[in-house]
Amino acid sequence: MKRIFLSGYVALFFASLAYAQEGTPAPPPMEPQGPQRTGPWKSSPPAQEVVPVPVPIAPPKPNGPVQKSLVRITATSVDPDYKAPWNAGSLQRGVGAGFVINGNRIMTNAHVVANNRYITVERDGDPNKYPAQVQFIANDCDLALVTVPAKDFFKNMVPLKFGGIPALESTVSAYGYPIGGERMSVTTGIVSRVDFQLYTHSSVDQHLAIQISAQINPGNSGGPVMQDGKVVGVAFQGYSGDVAQGVAYMIPTPVMNRFLKDISNGQYDEYPDLAITYAKLQNPAQRKYLGLVDDDRGVLVSSVVAAGPSDGILRSGDVLLSIDGHPIASDSNVELDGERAQFEEVVERKFKGDSVKLDILRDKGPMTVTIKLFKPWPYSIQGHTYDVRPRYVLYGGLLFQPLSLDMLEAYRTSDLRLRHFFEYFILEQIYLVHPDVIVLSNILPDPINSYLTPYKGAIVDEVNGKKIRTLDELSQAFAQAPERLVIRMIGDGPPLVLDRNKVETARERIKTRYNVLKEQNLEERPASRIAAAGEKN
Amino acid sequence: MLVAVSGALARKEPAIPTTAARPKQVALVRVNVTGQGYDYFRPWQKKAPFSKRALGAVLPKGRVLVTADLVTNQNYVELERAESGEKTAANVRVIDYEANLALLEPAEKSFLDGITPLEITSDTVVGDRLAAWQLEPTGALLATEGLVTTVQMMPYPIDVGQFLTYRVSIPMQYRENSYTVPLVKNNKLAGLLLRYDSRSQLLDAIPAPVITHFLREADSQNYRGFPSAGFSFFPTRDPALREFAGEKGKRGVYITNVEAGTPATRAGLKVGDIVTAVGNHDIDENGNYTDPLYGKIEFTNLLTAHAYAGDVVPFHLERDGKPMQLNLTLEHHDTKNYVSPPYNLDEPPRYYVLGGMIFQELSRQYLKEWGPNWQREAPQRLVYMDHFQSELFPDRNRRVVILSQVLPANSTIGYDDLAYLTVKRVNGKEIKSLGDLAEAVKQPVEGFIKIETEEDPKQIELDASQVAAEAPALQENYGISSLQRLQ
Repeated sequence: MKRIFLSGYVALFFASLAYAQEGTPAPPPMEPQGPQRTGPWKSSPPAQEVVPVPVPIAPPKPNGPVQKSLVRITATSVDPDYKAPWNAGSLQRGVGAGFVINGNRIMTNAHVVANNRYITVERDGDPNKYPAQVQFIANDCDLALVTVPAKDFFKNMVPLKFGGIPALESTVSAYGYPIGGERMSVTTGIVSRVDFQLYTHSSVDQHLAIQISAQINPGNSGGPVMQDGKVVGVAFQGYSGDVAQGVAYMIPTPVMNRFLKDISNGQYDEYPDLAITYAKLQNPAQRKYLGLVDDDRGVLVSSVVAAGPSDGILRSGDVLLSIDGHPIASDSNVELDGERAQFEEVVERKFKGDSVKLDILRDKGPMTVTIKLFKPWPYSIQGHTYDVRPRYVLYGGLLFQPLSLDMLEAYRTSDLRLRHFFEYFILEQIYLVHPDVIVLSNILPDPINSYLTPYKGAIVDEVNGKKIRTLDELSQAFAQAPERLVIRMIGDGPPLVLDRNKVETARERIKTRYNVLKEQNLEERPASRIAAAGEKN
Repeated sequence: MLVAVSGALARKEPAIPTTAARPKQVALVRVNVTGQGYDYFRPWQKKAPFSKRALGAVLPKGRVLVTADLVTNQNYVELERAESGEKTAANVRVIDYEANLALLEPAEKSFLDGITPLEITSDTVVGDRLAAWQLEPTGALLATEGLVTTVQMMPYPIDVGQFLTYRVSIPMQYRENSYTVPLVKNNKLAGLLLRYDSRSQLLDAIPAPVITHFLREADSQNYRGFPSAGFSFFPTRDPALREFAGEKGKRGVYITNVEAGTPATRAGLKVGDIVTAVGNHDIDENGNYTDPLYGKIEFTNLLTAHAYAGDVVPFHLERDGKPMQLNLTLEHHDTKNYVSPPYNLDEPPRYYVLGGMIFQELSRQYLKEWGPNWQREAPQRLVYMDHFQSELFPDRNRRVVILSQVLPANSTIGYDDLAYLTVKRVNGKEIKSLGDLAEAVKQPVEGFIKIETEEDPKQIELDASQVAAEAPALQENYGISSLQRLQ
């Protein structure tokens, strides 16, 4: 399920959710905007129900020798530099936890090993550090599998078994290496809530997550959360202490199981999505208008993303009545395995290529439709990406980059137009006209561009009368440039005019002066593959 | 101490520093204002009253000059003689929000008797010393001197175009009534305080040329306001851009936008034209002309302080490398002609309440309700629409109707969280103003009022009879005096 960007509410998440990995700073807030909103409604803290919590009398049941399953992961990663995308980027080192599961594999968080260049794992009672490799990484649900080539590493290690969704108020224990410690640490808490949550690693995906009251700190990431000797979750995110305390989140086993099943065919296909927005149908007049009988069922389709699987099948104004036979309540919940969950959970458990059957009401007439699921691409610009090199074109000292969350955060722009194009990229179907929203993001000063500073932050619309839709098209337009290049930007403003001969003569000068290794990168090639190719040479 | 200095005397002895020429009876009165702003979040009511205390400059013909900001949304204005404390009510005769100037008249005509009015001097240049006149609690004059460091075009608080501004470096002291402070040169009015930054000790003043323009217009029967031309421009410092635009020899500015329905469009100005001269003044590649008084200054000064609505101004330009002349008949750009008006002051906001849903028209005044940081704190989509209104609504002939909030009620159950949605259609009819909406809701379709929005959820339905039946209870519950104001 994807989070649709809407300003205002978003800032709260960006400002407050922090990773639970040591060494990785909390993601910078999108904008220096506090969570408080002035508006028609005076902001008041949400009413908090005070629920008395029974203090456990007996100690929690022992979880067995977790030391024999837990590993300490040290990852050295290189985070791309979106402001100088030709550079390798900044070197980071972080510590996280992981645990052994069947098949001699180690499960951990994606954010522990994302963008990694070198990983070592350590196990309890063994002084050695073992080089490890990432086998699969799922950035959309913050999980990864790591293997250790060293023979005998898994000897005497005990693979952990998965449990189900723990009951509310039941006690769980989190294991890991918080605050840089080298010895295993255990904290306990209770299960506070089971709900959909934003996964901050990608910042665009929402999945089921379990809130627990156990202390989770940097270094706990990727560590198992146990109950009755079984893994019931992977600790992954929490709030920084000044926002909320005693609130930590773990990835529950349905998400973990789905990940393992997804990769069973040898590759990770990511979560598919219906790519629709919907509204609850709780207004009696609206229900009557739509011809619904009074049985509290149905949600209203608001928008259908043209690049998604529902395009041409669902349309705005349809009422979704049931999904794969599960009746959808008017507050968007379905009953799954005896638990109420948002109806998207049905889609969440499916894989690319699977189908979902929807009973709908269109113009008061019932219909049944089947949607073959896949992941629509436009969401990717609204989330963080990992293990890819930033795409860019540098021409005449002008740096052109496609709009993305990573790029926006790097420049911390408050430009109204850029932010609008970003937030409404999907809802206003901007991607149909501008699959890449190409921004003149930076200028490396040189005599040929001394007057071009006012164009910084503008979005490229056309070059010499030809509409530019992608970065590749821009690169081609530059390569085939006649003597004079006239670049039109979106909105009012004069065209940016370049003399090709002058740009050509300045090329080497700019490259040398600013140490630009490569003038463009058009492909999002996994950095790890580039590294692997480098080793072979 | 000198006795009241007449204008003639001061002209003869310009070398005397202002502080030395301290008149006994200063041409200042205290101005006390009580006002109430309109509450755009509860558009049927006014906010709690505020009071402001300021100074007014006494001008000839029994008039008092203050900033528009001071008397905006006023309920009651009172003048107070500095030395005697005598008071009288005053009327706002003319107000210009864009130039931030207002003229007051005492109810009692004789109130200003005995005060020698201030003359106006328009010859202030960079390097002059100006005195800020304030009053001590005793009524004595407190004059602080400052140096004019810059004369340039700058935005005024309302942010409609730019106006000539004096920037003065001056260590101002806080006194009561410091809201409007006259700046004086040789006992003549040279400017009026616009804003002051106590940290940098920099003061921006509304200069005499703008004041003179305002007073001249105010003397006419029908106040028209400052003119505007209706185009935007960009400097042509970049030689590549100049060459592309076919500029030959002469420098000028590149026209980037010509707004529909403005003097520029009517005269035939086009995007891509290079304006090389306005009237007799050549414009350089930065957009400056050479003013006899100030030297280089942005040419928009020729179209604001120097020109009046109705004036015909010749524009010399180059189009595709060929010289041309266009004559622009300037006019004031009325706020009513904007899609999202830049200001609505001294008039109540329009709204329409429909079963707990509050509909309003997008305006900058509404967005400013989010406070000084409204550009970041107001709903960003609305800020975007306001900011790019000429681009998003090129035909201009409309307003943007928004569902601003929902008051929980029986008819709006399940809609409580909706806010800041732009309304596209109601009962199938296109909505381009609140008036359209008020008409359209009167014609429900099969008993339902259907509202279509640009944003999700795209459609909202209400039961027309339930809405009507619930209206009295809604008014009672939320204290809504009237369910609509459409004027």
